[in-house]
Amino acid sequence: MNETPHAGYVIETRGLTKRYGQKVAIDHLDLAIESGNIHAIVGANGAGKSTLFRILLGFLPATSGEARILGRDSRRLTPSDRERIGFVNEEHTLQGWMTVAAVTAMQRRQYPRWNQAAFDEVIGHYNVQASQKVSQLSRGERAGFNLALSLAQRPELLVLDEPTLGLDVVAKRAFLETLLHSHAMAGCTVIYCSHQMEEVERVADNLIIMERGALRNISPPDDFRSRVSHWVADIPFRGPDPRTIPGLLDAQRIDGIHHYLVLDQGEEFAEFLHACGARDVHRLPVSLDRAVNSFLSKQHAAPVAA
Amino acid sequence: MARTRALPIQIATGDPRPIGKQIVDAVRMRIATGELEPGAQLPSVRGLAQQLTINPNTVAKAYAELTAEGWLESRQGLGLYVAPPRQRLSAAERDRRMDEAIQAFVHEVVALDYPPDRAIARLDKALGVLAKKSA
Repeated sequence: MNETPHAGYVIETRGLTKRYGQKVAIDHLDLAIESGNIHAIVGANGAGKSTLFRILLGFLPATSGEARILGRDSRRLTPSDRERIGFVNEEHTLQGWMTVAAVTAMQRRQYPRWNQAAFDEVIGHYNVQASQKVSQLSRGERAGFNLALSLAQRPELLVLDEPTLGLDVVAKRAFLETLLHSHAMAGCTVIYCSHQMEEVERVADNLIIMERGALRNISPPDDFRSRVSHWVADIPFRGPDPRTIPGLLDAQRIDGIHHYLVLDQGEEFAEFLHACGARDVHRLPVSLDRAVNSFLSKQHAAPVAA
Repeated sequence: MARTRALPIQIATGDPRPIGKQIVDAVRMRIATGELEPGAQLPSVRGLAQQLTINPNTVAKAYAELTAEGWLESRQGLGLYVAPPRQRLSAAERDRRMDEAIQAFVHEVVALDYPPDRAIARLDKALGVLAKKSA
């Protein structure tokens, strides 16, 4: 699914930097996202995701560096370039006083490549009547309406910024089903920003992790997950000084047993633990959720209780 | 033509096993227990992805792994089917597992204090069912 006819990158930045006064929001970011598939972008609040999209869509100037979207310079996007990009954000902001029919008619006039079949297919997942005012729709229905409008645009790139935030379980499921299985998605590259790892695990072909305005990972989710391992070690008395533990992401001592989450450590880590006096050492796999969260919270790791 | 068999499996997110691995394990288990018989057709990639609300590429990768291991076979233009059980294990691995099975059986029989000749007679009868099944 989701193969686009265009080779190359849908998003490309080189040395992209954005400063707000003293604060650096984007820090010399080199990012290249290939066309096709679903790419999830995760990062803590303030990682620079929103700033990045505002720059890419041409709403905000960069301090320095280059940003390209669908091969075009973000600073010089024409209306016909914008037609190729669908954007759905968490607010699902639409004209509340208009009816669903009126908003749809307006969008249909605005987009020459309007795909009525795609609109009908997607909106069919939701109980939305044409005569309803947008303000009368539930949050989930508004999300579905928004997605239907975006896909009817026939976008080559669909950017979803926390699209399921605040939706109930049923509405979330309907949204994911459309995203994963709708015929309207054919040929569309998806950028999916979310904090919800449960969804990321279901949808993402590729996992992009941003931290403090910089790229920290770009790989299939399972490749990233396999970089993180959980070690359980029975070390009598004190464990090693956390500063000496290679690749440490998180350390805990539970019932006198030491638990370490580490990055990029192979079997040699067992030797390290044995050298620290460990009697019994076990290596466990971790969930994607835990791998990502420990990676992102590394900066805030608490010191290990001795 | 064989009809597609339902594949009543579940996946869990937040599990240490990747979703693709969970699918591989579940399908192997169903074949090994005989719930999925040789010749049964599996759901399409799109169908299973819809059933589980996951990315179809994840299902495609799991199916590719099962096919490479000899659990499934692809029939041109028709889909994926459970493969006949022969080519899955090497001769050495088969011998090793057979030794294991015999050891386990012998240990149980010892614990039961059951006369060997009667144990062999019972075993012979039990294996007769297998012989019929593979004939």
